[in-house]
Amino acid sequence: MAVRIVADSTSDLPPAVVEELGITIVPANVVIDDVNYRDGVDLTPDDFYSRLVSGTALPTTSQPSVGAFQTAYQELLDQGHELVSVHVSGKLSGTVNSATQAKAALGEDPPIEIIDSQAASIAVALVAIEAAELARQSMSREEIAERVRSTLSRTFAAFAVDTLEYLQKGGRIGKAQAFVGSLLSVKPILTLMDGEVHPLERPRNHQRAMRRLVELVSEKAPASRLGVIYSTEQEWAAELCDSLSDLLPREQIVTARFGPALGTYVGPRAVGVAIVSEG
Amino acid sequence: MTALSGDSLAAALTAGFHCLQRYRDPLNALNVYPVPDGDTGTNMLLTMRAGVEKLSQLNGASAGEVAAQVADGAFWEARGNSGVILSQFFKGIALGLDGKEVCAGEDLAQAFRSATDAAYRSVGNPVEGTMLTVIRWVAEALEAAVEANSDNGAGDLLALWETGYSASKAALEATPTMLPKLREAGVVDAGGMGIVVILGGALLHLTGGDAATADLGLATAAGQIDPSQLASISVESDFLDSSVESEWGYCTQFLIQGENLDIEKVRSDLAATSESLVIVGDDRFIRVHVHMQDPGVALTYAVSLGELDQIKIDNMSLQNQDWASGHQERGAPKDGITLVAVAPGEGLAQLFRDTAGASIVSGGQTMNPSVAQLINAAEESGGENVILLPNNKNVAITAVQAAERENESQTLHVVETSTVPQGIAAALAFNSQAETGQNLQAMRDAVNAVVSIEVTRSVRDTVLEGKPVNEGDYMGLVEGGLAVVETSAEAALMAALDGVGLEEDHIVTIYWGADTDQATVEGVSENLEAQIPGIQVDLVFGGQPHYPYFAAVE
Repeated sequence: MAVRIVADSTSDLPPAVVEELGITIVPANVVIDDVNYRDGVDLTPDDFYSRLVSGTALPTTSQPSVGAFQTAYQELLDQGHELVSVHVSGKLSGTVNSATQAKAALGEDPPIEIIDSQAASIAVALVAIEAAELARQSMSREEIAERVRSTLSRTFAAFAVDTLEYLQKGGRIGKAQAFVGSLLSVKPILTLMDGEVHPLERPRNHQRAMRRLVELVSEKAPASRLGVIYSTEQEWAAELCDSLSDLLPREQIVTARFGPALGTYVGPRAVGVAIVSEG
Repeated sequence: MTALSGDSLAAALTAGFHCLQRYRDPLNALNVYPVPDGDTGTNMLLTMRAGVEKLSQLNGASAGEVAAQVADGAFWEARGNSGVILSQFFKGIALGLDGKEVCAGEDLAQAFRSATDAAYRSVGNPVEGTMLTVIRWVAEALEAAVEANSDNGAGDLLALWETGYSASKAALEATPTMLPKLREAGVVDAGGMGIVVILGGALLHLTGGDAATADLGLATAAGQIDPSQLASISVESDFLDSSVESEWGYCTQFLIQGENLDIEKVRSDLAATSESLVIVGDDRFIRVHVHMQDPGVALTYAVSLGELDQIKIDNMSLQNQDWASGHQERGAPKDGITLVAVAPGEGLAQLFRDTAGASIVSGGQTMNPSVAQLINAAEESGGENVILLPNNKNVAITAVQAAERENESQTLHVVETSTVPQGIAAALAFNSQAETGQNLQAMRDAVNAVVSIEVTRSVRDTVLEGKPVNEGDYMGLVEGGLAVVETSAEAALMAALDGVGLEEDHIVTIYWGADTDQATVEGVSENLEAQIPGIQVDLVFGGQPHYPYFAAVE
């Protein structure tokens, strides 16, 4: 009996990594013009962003249904697996709630460990990757859950957005509200603190934002894992990888893309970094 | 002192009332049980006021008469759960002091015993961890003290009052251990605190203090309560969220006037279909306070018994939402760290407000604000820590003086910006969500990373820093020192920028003044962009007088 890792689509795990490590992804939902799409299944990032930029309608998102979790869990349990299920901060999404209800519906104490990461996106991805690697080393469900929790306490992520407009419209601006309303052009850098969006700095342009992202992560070195993420500008992610290659060999840095669910909030031309510091 | 005269008792109760007045808002904010609707302080205050108001007509009355008047006034105006219980507390006190000329130690103990009985009786289903517990603990402590002192009379009345007050504080502190709702919310019982506040205010008066400005040193799990700072009170956010999702129904209150009313029957009839039932009165008047999903049911029942008066119905779900949002707003950054910026010109004021939520004091080179203006703005900004941005060399001295003033509720800090561009760089580095120390560091770093240019016109012929300047010439200042003299503002700006040594990754922000026109500044910007490809030039209306241009290079 092996342990398998379940995550939701807002972890933005790259498809190749998901495949290689056998992680199960439960999709969140994105609704555009009254049509429901499963994040990353029915809607690719390219389609999504072109519609986000051109469209007048603002997409909305919703957590995966209880049923979606129940189906995913059931299938894995039937194969005799135990599960560690890692998800986006409960303060940003009801995903953990759906997962918890699905678990409760699967009878008395099924072997599923659900973890509220208090994080989102690439930070969750790095932790999920670690969990999947530990599972391959035949570590037990309890041990993996404990390691995941300890890793989360050493995880930091920051992202720079082109505009706070999408976070604000989507109601996820959190404490970064403090950065709304500058007459000067800025590229706000934000992080997740205590599970919600938190303001960090306001560099005046994109170049300086990129430099600060690298510096913020470098302050947390030595790194055991690194990730970079972008919404529309792949070359910016590549640039960040180059800049971070002093901390970790470039091929070990995970490059991911904000999927439609998170893209709804960060918008186009967003870019971010994440680090798991060495324990 | 071995006993209180009627007049002393009246003065002590009045002081208790004044203390309650001081603590009204904190009590409202702490009100989570039975319904978090934020009215405990107000209800207790209005109830007690009706009692205390009757005292002004008394002079030289007996202790028994004083207590009876307070109880009577309170009964007729009693409102809310806590108010009705408080009115019964006074009724019990009056019963205990009935016929007493003065209130000696054993009378006080007896009065609290009778007050405890009356308070418990008024409630359909007494719950511990509320004001009932606080009243009972006081009664028990007084009885024990009187017993222990029985050899030499009841002993000193002040010492006894002190004993009772200590017991009330101990009981208040214990309320969260008895009532899970309080524990979840991270508070102590509001009604119980009302009793503590009344006793504490009275004690202060008896020992020569002023109840109206009291700080009794009370606390919740979150910390000390400062009665003048509502922000010192917080309720657990999970509790706030879940409270808003509940259906609270209607708080329904009325007075039944009739003949041969059977209060026990009314109590049992209403108890079956309602919550938080508090009923007090006699065979002619019964005051009812009850929480129901449908207030009509209670009114229909009551009208069959007699005339109804003082009918008051409140939607508690709406009250709860107001209460919860009050807490959530207070949780916003205002409580923490705020900014005060001195700005010459409406555009710059707007910029400081938008960028950092700053409070503005207008002023600058030709109009230096006073220490008092800066302190007032700091107070209005409401932060526990306030950072001042003087944005002018002369004002910086004033700001440092303002920060040196002792102030209990605020600490003032100065980031000594000597130009407007420095001030704006500092404001951009300000983060209301970060610690004060971090902010000061980040803001000073930002000031150091920017080069300031100011362009102004000479009002006379002079020689400055070895350079001859004619009246009407434009001077370009870099970091406050005269760098260039030109015959137009634009030429002075360009020459000063040139002297700084612009590079393609620089950002130049130009704040244009009240007398500069937009087309001209756009021309300057195009020039710069043509000269240095890749440079970023931002134009912002500053609206400042006397300075056609401020500019920042970073």
